[in-house]
Amino acid sequence: MAAIETDDLRKRYGDLRALKGVSLEVDEGEFFGLLGPNGAGKTTFINILVGLVRKSGGEARVFGYDVEDDYEEARDAIGLAPQEFNVDRFFPIEEVLVHKAGYHGVPKDVAKERAEEALRTVGIYDKRDTRFHWLSGGMKRRFMLARAMVTEPDLLILDEPTAGVDVQLRHDLWDIIKRMNEEGTTVLLTTHYIEEAERLCDRVAILDEGEVVEVSTPDELMGRGKDTVRVKLSKDIEEPPATLDGDYETRVEDGELVVETRNAGGTLAEVLRELDRAGHEVVDIEMSRTSLEEIFVDMTRSHEDVTRTQTTGDGQGDGA
Amino acid sequence: MSLTDGFGAGARFLPIGFRTLMRREILRYVRRPRNTFLPPLITNVLYFSVFGVILGERVGEIQGVSYILFLLPGLVVLGAISNSFENASFSIFHGRWNEYIQATTTSPISYTQMVLAYVVSSALRGVLIGVLIALVGAVFTPVTVEHPLYLIAFMAVITTLFAGFGVIGGLWARDFDYLTVMNQFILRPLVFFGGVFYSLEILPPLWTYVSLLNPMVYMVNGVRYGFLGAETVDVGPNSALVVLTVAAVVVVLIDIALFRRGYGLTE
Repeated sequence: MAAIETDDLRKRYGDLRALKGVSLEVDEGEFFGLLGPNGAGKTTFINILVGLVRKSGGEARVFGYDVEDDYEEARDAIGLAPQEFNVDRFFPIEEVLVHKAGYHGVPKDVAKERAEEALRTVGIYDKRDTRFHWLSGGMKRRFMLARAMVTEPDLLILDEPTAGVDVQLRHDLWDIIKRMNEEGTTVLLTTHYIEEAERLCDRVAILDEGEVVEVSTPDELMGRGKDTVRVKLSKDIEEPPATLDGDYETRVEDGELVVETRNAGGTLAEVLRELDRAGHEVVDIEMSRTSLEEIFVDMTRSHEDVTRTQTTGDGQGDGA
Repeated sequence: MSLTDGFGAGARFLPIGFRTLMRREILRYVRRPRNTFLPPLITNVLYFSVFGVILGERVGEIQGVSYILFLLPGLVVLGAISNSFENASFSIFHGRWNEYIQATTTSPISYTQMVLAYVVSSALRGVLIGVLIALVGAVFTPVTVEHPLYLIAFMAVITTLFAGFGVIGGLWARDFDYLTVMNQFILRPLVFFGGVFYSLEILPPLWTYVSLLNPMVYMVNGVRYGFLGAETVDVGPNSALVVLTVAAVVVVLIDIALFRRGYGLTE
């Protein structure tokens, strides 16, 4: 059964179409990333699942339960760590967790045990009698994760869980989330940190301007990138040697040969051989791989261009 | 067992989510006695001192009872409904303002249970304040309760009704000024002109008829009947109770419909 299933999910805010028909399926037990620039519709998508936003059209189900018709069952399965700090400031943090677990039907004594465990897991048990307001920024982030965990959800939704935290804390949070996923919890993660998606996610969807641009594994996405090999020769050259005519692109930058290829390993040997034959002496080689971030930027940019072209085209059509 | 721990043995049959939300709501005000209990205590000591004792001696008897005793049921109603309304509206609006209400609205508690938890906890606050005011009154004059069941019924219904209105107010408010406006410019004038401080009999006929359009008159009248056994307005406690009960049910149903629609809670 799919943990999340959306079909042609749409959301309008007046004239703004925040979601333009998103169809996605996240498998049970999967670690799924939702990537996209600001305003892409990621938070709207999440908020529809948890009931903070009402959809304008389409379908959304969590473990088979419609998020509006069967909202009690759907919400019972979800643990949410939202981007914004939205914590009850009247109560110490342990009590906030006890309440949250109680809302999900967990008896008070069990809820207290779970709250303690969640606070220990995220490393802020010593602060259990403190109110959220008095926690440091990093502790607040840890608490948000604890609150999402305390109901022992089948689906953990994390909206930018590591935004603004230091590297150490980010790694700590990754470890906790990863462990939960290994224990069977489905995770839906939105993030701006591409490295986060690359390290954690089984699959990612790239969302841009309310549309799914791509759904793929991080490895598949990486495969779409190119490797760049910069070859410094003993003497600067002005043009790539004519014998370099394989399945790769060449150019000269600052007197150095630059080769772009999908397979640097295979190409490099061929290029070096041809350069040797042409009498060039290789002084230095530098290889770099396109990062997922560059691929992501490239994909969202191309999607933007396509959308703009279509809009312009539509406009011209209307005018005619 | 504390007041908020278990709600008695019957509470075991209530859903845990509902009980937890209600416990949270009650703890919020019980743990802040300086905000919850002290202001009405001081205000009513002043009311009883100034209106009851100092002015009351000059006013003499109204409907066969001393003015201070005549005043008491009205002050109980004023305190009870103000607190029911304020508690529900503040709790919901503050939760919306700081977005922590989302921990509740994204939970599996049904909309009906959410509304009932807010309404019942707020109505309970109103009843507690009503009892506190009656106790303050008892310091100044012997208080009798002629019809305890009617008193309990009227108190339960009117605090529920105003807690229900408070939920609507909390969902409707866009900033804290809205809450002040609702309380100071709508609620208080209606209560003050609802026969808290005077008997409608002393008004000219036209203003008596106008006053009868004010629903507060019947609430004050009902509670006064419970305490004193006499009515200022001859409507009969049963009819007033039925009408107020229907009104309370309708308002709570509207609350549930608003929660279901996500009014003020989504987007």
